[in-house]
Amino acid sequence: MERKGLDCVVLNQGYACVNGRVLEHEAAGNALLAELYRNHIADWPKFFKMDTLSKAGFVASELLFKEIGDNRHEGDEFVQNRAIVLFGSTASLCADRNYQETIQDKDNYYPSPALFVYTLPNIVTGEIAIRNHYRGETSFYVLEEPDAAQMAFHLSCAFQDGATDSILAGWVDSTQNDDFQSFMTLIQKEDAADAGWLAGQLQLMINNLNK
Amino acid sequence: MARVIRCIADNVVSPLGTDSRSNYDSVKAGRSGLARYESMGNITTPFVLSRVDRKVIDGLCGKLGIEGNYTFFEKFLLCSSVQAVRDSGIDASSDRVIFIVSTTKGNVSLLGAPQEGMEQERVLLAKAAREVTEYFGNPNNPIVVCNACISGVCAQIEAMRALRSGRYDYAVVIGADEQSPFIISGFLSFKAISDEPCRPFDKDRKGLNLGECAATVVLEASDVKKNGWELVCGAIRNDANHISGPSRTGEGSYLALMEVLKECRRDELAFVNVHGTATAYNDEMESIALYRAGLIEVPVTGLKGYYGHTMGAAGIMESILSMYAVRDNTVLATRGYNEQGTTWPVNVKSELRECKGSEFIKLLSGFGGSNAALLYRYVE
Amino acid sequence: MEELILKLKQEIIEVLNLEDIKPEDIDNDAPLFGEGLGLDSIDALELIVLMEKNYGIKLQDPAKGKEIFKSINVMADYIQKNRTR
Repeated sequence: MERKGLDCVVLNQGYACVNGRVLEHEAAGNALLAELYRNHIADWPKFFKMDTLSKAGFVASELLFKEIGDNRHEGDEFVQNRAIVLFGSTASLCADRNYQETIQDKDNYYPSPALFVYTLPNIVTGEIAIRNHYRGETSFYVLEEPDAAQMAFHLSCAFQDGATDSILAGWVDSTQNDDFQSFMTLIQKEDAADAGWLAGQLQLMINNLNK
Repeated sequence: MARVIRCIADNVVSPLGTDSRSNYDSVKAGRSGLARYESMGNITTPFVLSRVDRKVIDGLCGKLGIEGNYTFFEKFLLCSSVQAVRDSGIDASSDRVIFIVSTTKGNVSLLGAPQEGMEQERVLLAKAAREVTEYFGNPNNPIVVCNACISGVCAQIEAMRALRSGRYDYAVVIGADEQSPFIISGFLSFKAISDEPCRPFDKDRKGLNLGECAATVVLEASDVKKNGWELVCGAIRNDANHISGPSRTGEGSYLALMEVLKECRRDELAFVNVHGTATAYNDEMESIALYRAGLIEVPVTGLKGYYGHTMGAAGIMESILSMYAVRDNTVLATRGYNEQGTTWPVNVKSELRECKGSEFIKLLSGFGGSNAALLYRYVE
Repeated sequence: MEELILKLKQEIIEVLNLEDIKPEDIDNDAPLFGEGLGLDSIDALELIVLMEKNYGIKLQDPAKGKEIFKSINVMADYIQKNRTR
């Protein structure tokens, strides 16, 4: 019997796709993320404070959980057995550039704490952890490019933590405010046992990043 | 049996020395790299920083034969890793060796001050890491751990896992950060930087100091027990509370501590080397986490008074100095501490102390609600 | 004063990305922090930047911010008295 493929969400500045179904939308760029937020999420105003990287990761994770009917957590109960492991190649470059603008000019030097905090790419893992009450591992790795085999290897390694039995895994990149790519998927321990299969699944998602 | 992971070589390059031994001796003697700066670039607020002399790094590169078109950050990574790899005796060009780089901001200073003849894409962390793997002729794709201030501990955990998986036999784990106006202005905007040498856990603590350091551990996987420093286990946990403020209950640090305590032989635990940044919230949070984990009586030591917060290097350098301290039966003095300033009275002292035991825990926490701990054990 | 209060509200909404909130939604006497607008510690730091950038008021001690950011009225009053631009 053919093994069921992983559920996934793929987003970029002009594209939103949940398990192969393209979501209809009007906006593009950063406005697309806001449109998806308003149409599908709508109950987390902190969204508007996030940088593009965090928005892209957050929206993708929300659409994924909605699709699979994940109950996330019960009330205030914190979930410790789910990790968040994300990868990217440009890390916080978009936020870095935005923050640099606030300090570049001697006569207009007003460093912004709200921009500075996003110059750490792992903030997106924190945003998702806060939203979902996850107190498990959160990690952000920077690779040269989305490499399915390399990602599958490090994801399977993450299951060596005895407390981790599932991982919200994905790719997030943003170089400009209106330019981003992300995918998000949920991996169970048994999915990672077969690294070749996992890499194949990730490759399908990578192939759609630039759709 | 799971493969045993051992540290077989180490190096620290900082204002206090260019190898681990000289760094340890300097700290034991009470020397600090912290100095006051009145301004830097567009920054006009005074701050205290531990900064590496660029000439020392250039001289070291010359001595080590590191030539090429490198940024300061890349030279920093190289002059630490070249020494550690040389001391380890491993063949770093083998595909059985994985390189893991720990940094928060890498070459970010290129954004504000582009360098002639230096391609702007070096601002991408994996491109900078590629310079290192290419230097050593290592064929594997580089990976950079970018988990804010806990990156150095996370990088060692990732190395441990990669080695236990069986795919690699050695891991070269390098951490470094350059302190440019980018990072300093950001922490200033957070009102987190002190204009005096920091005072970890003290009641009058005013905030952190930043610092520069490059540090490397070379880890080896083997199927048999050998004597030396064993990286036993590690854990990363999130507060799920706030993206910049530490948890009021120390949740993530507590959970990370509880995970590594599963493997810890409590009568062998010499000390906990904490984060101890000297911000009001961090030190308070750590005291709560230590209390909750039942570690309030265990000697605690923090190194920020000597080095400042060295970000990507912190988890690695502070682990290395802890190894030297355990072997020396010493709990290093927490420079800057004077009077208890946290709700829970952590066992911290401003003087050197003797200790027993063969294990230590390294604890870190950082932005993004991230926390990490690891356990090292010396095997006779 | 009315003019300053309206301008201040618009500035706060913009720098803190308070999407879907209009100036008239912010009560002049209601606390800015805690319940209501859902502001946090980073927002407080960003308001310190706003005070300096738009009104030339430098706040070194973030604790001082707590008093000033009590409400829009308190904040506007402080700005009125201390502004240098």
